[in-house]
Amino acid sequence: MVEVRLERVSKRFGRVVAVNNVNLQFPDGKFSALLGPSGSGKSTILYLIAGIYKPTLGKILFGDRDVTELPPKDRNVGLVFQNYALYPHMTVYDNIAFPLRLKKIDENAINDKVNNVSKLLRIQDLLERYPHQLSGGQQQRVALARALVKEPEVLLLDEPLSNLDALLRLTIRAEIKRLQQKLEITAIHVTHDQAEAMSMADYIAVIDRGSVQQVGSPWEVYNKPRNLFVATFMGSPPSNVLPGRIVRENGIWIDVGGSMVKPPERMVELLRESELDDVIVAFRPEHASIVKEPEEGYISIPAEVFVTEPLGRESIVTAMVGGSSVKVLMPPEAEFKPGESVYIQIQPDKLMLFDPITELNIEVARPGKS
Amino acid sequence: MRIPKPNPIWFFLSPALFLIIVFYVVPLFFSIYISFTPLQNWNLARYLDQISLENYERLFYMAMNDPDVTKVVKTTIVFVTITLIFNVLGGLILALSMFFMDESLSLPYRLIWILPRMTPIAVYSLIWYYFFLGDESGTLNSLLLRLGVIEKPLAWGNSPELLPESAWAIIILVNGLVGVSFGMVVFYSALRSLPREHVIAARVEGASAFQMTRYVLVPQLKWHIIYVTVWQLLSLITTYAHIFLLVQWGAIDKWWGSPWALYVFNTAFTTSDQGFAAAAAVILVVIGGILGILVLRLMGFKKLMQEPKGEL
Repeated sequence: MVEVRLERVSKRFGRVVAVNNVNLQFPDGKFSALLGPSGSGKSTILYLIAGIYKPTLGKILFGDRDVTELPPKDRNVGLVFQNYALYPHMTVYDNIAFPLRLKKIDENAINDKVNNVSKLLRIQDLLERYPHQLSGGQQQRVALARALVKEPEVLLLDEPLSNLDALLRLTIRAEIKRLQQKLEITAIHVTHDQAEAMSMADYIAVIDRGSVQQVGSPWEVYNKPRNLFVATFMGSPPSNVLPGRIVRENGIWIDVGGSMVKPPERMVELLRESELDDVIVAFRPEHASIVKEPEEGYISIPAEVFVTEPLGRESIVTAMVGGSSVKVLMPPEAEFKPGESVYIQIQPDKLMLFDPITELNIEVARPGKS
Repeated sequence: MRIPKPNPIWFFLSPALFLIIVFYVVPLFFSIYISFTPLQNWNLARYLDQISLENYERLFYMAMNDPDVTKVVKTTIVFVTITLIFNVLGGLILALSMFFMDESLSLPYRLIWILPRMTPIAVYSLIWYYFFLGDESGTLNSLLLRLGVIEKPLAWGNSPELLPESAWAIIILVNGLVGVSFGMVVFYSALRSLPREHVIAARVEGASAFQMTRYVLVPQLKWHIIYVTVWQLLSLITTYAHIFLLVQWGAIDKWWGSPWALYVFNTAFTTSDQGFAAAAAVILVVIGGILGILVLRLMGFKKLMQEPKGEL
């Protein structure tokens, strides 16, 4: 197994910059996720690692080995696709054996390897079938077996769960994770689904517009978003965002939709140094609640209830602050009428502030640290 | 009382059905009928009531004994077989080479290969007429003379010492270059519609371009290959337009350059023997039909025609 490193990698297609000066490390034997919206360049990064694309600039290293100029077949990677990409004219057995046959390995050895990997993925009974006779989940298991049979150093997963229905996705999600841990293979998983990335990955790299926005553990990326993009991309529903204006009279206040909010103590010094006039206030739906009367020890903002969506386990209450909507997770028994005047009460230690120009989190992204 | 609803099938089929009946079915049966009569000079009033197998007997005898008709039979077999292989294999090779080619290159490349099909038949044939012309002004002759390969100009399509192979080579080349673009277009579009992940997966798994072609691409073109083979077979059996002009202009030998379809045409329209020509045409249709079915059987056409999913 091996660590995968991208050093200052850029990829241009004509005039389009798909990947822009990316530095990334995928640790040896760990499960990493490349998370981003569609068109962010995350799949391009994966294909650069696989060798399907050559970087316009920069280097790609597997451990100490510079693979930048190597063709895909000399990189020893396994690749799994969203649409499985099984060859329809071959049986499951032939599909899995295909990479080995290309290497002209002895048929008996091929047979052993195919049987082993089929046992691992629990598809021994499907070997004689053709891909069109399998369900989506079975096809994806076969695709995984085909990727794993040649014992690759790196397993690349390109949205492998996106074509599966919701329930099956949870099953295969757990299975891939278990497999990765058992084989201790370096896995890189491309996904646009933040819940998938959170649940499976040891490390998440959030990608947007061809650049790395943040790298960290799921906990870090979720709780300490480096910029506004990460804050509003992670979570379902994602972070709430409100525009604020900084008022420097009698200390420091933030004017949010006409009401004065006192920032938490830890931010006062940062705001004083920053000379910002405006700031973006953000918080997660689960870090706030809606109350009729403000309580001590919280940041309270007056709001008007817009709609309540009961989801069974919880309810999402949408309220309006000035012209912006805010979503708050409430216990299912909470009941609010549309138009009701309420307060949004935010836990002060969970409040996040972003510079409106750079969109950086004023606490996480200090100058000189990235 | 409910008026029974007319079956919508007939509504949709009737325009095409009308054309097929008027221009195909009626002439077909009429030709079969004529083939049993001694029709001459299109004198329908005089000959149509004399039914006999005489035309077929004569045809069979001539194919066995008449040296000219024997040449036509041999020419037909060689021409159809080799041109068919040329068209299907050539189309496949062209499509594959374009598939692996850069898009900016493959477009002009495709255009060049489609040109023969886009060029009017007479113009295209004229180009080849001058290319193989028998005196020193012919393109091929003047080239070879200049290079010192030959000492005096050769009559490529007529010279007795070069026949029959040279005449065959000319008609195969002329028709093959037109026909090859059909397979190319069909195969290329089929290749382009394969999921590109198949190609990426094969590359990651270590397949060379040849291995990818052999194990991933060509097997998925099976139905397209069957289709192009049958289509080209049937059209080659009945094609004669280019060859007719080359024979007419004297570029190739009349008998060693005539496939059966041209022989039928010449018998029907340049001699007065229409009953005999009709018999020759019927034989051609029957052989074409048998060969077509045979190819479909051999290649497993039944598996292609699956039951429709859902009701019509």
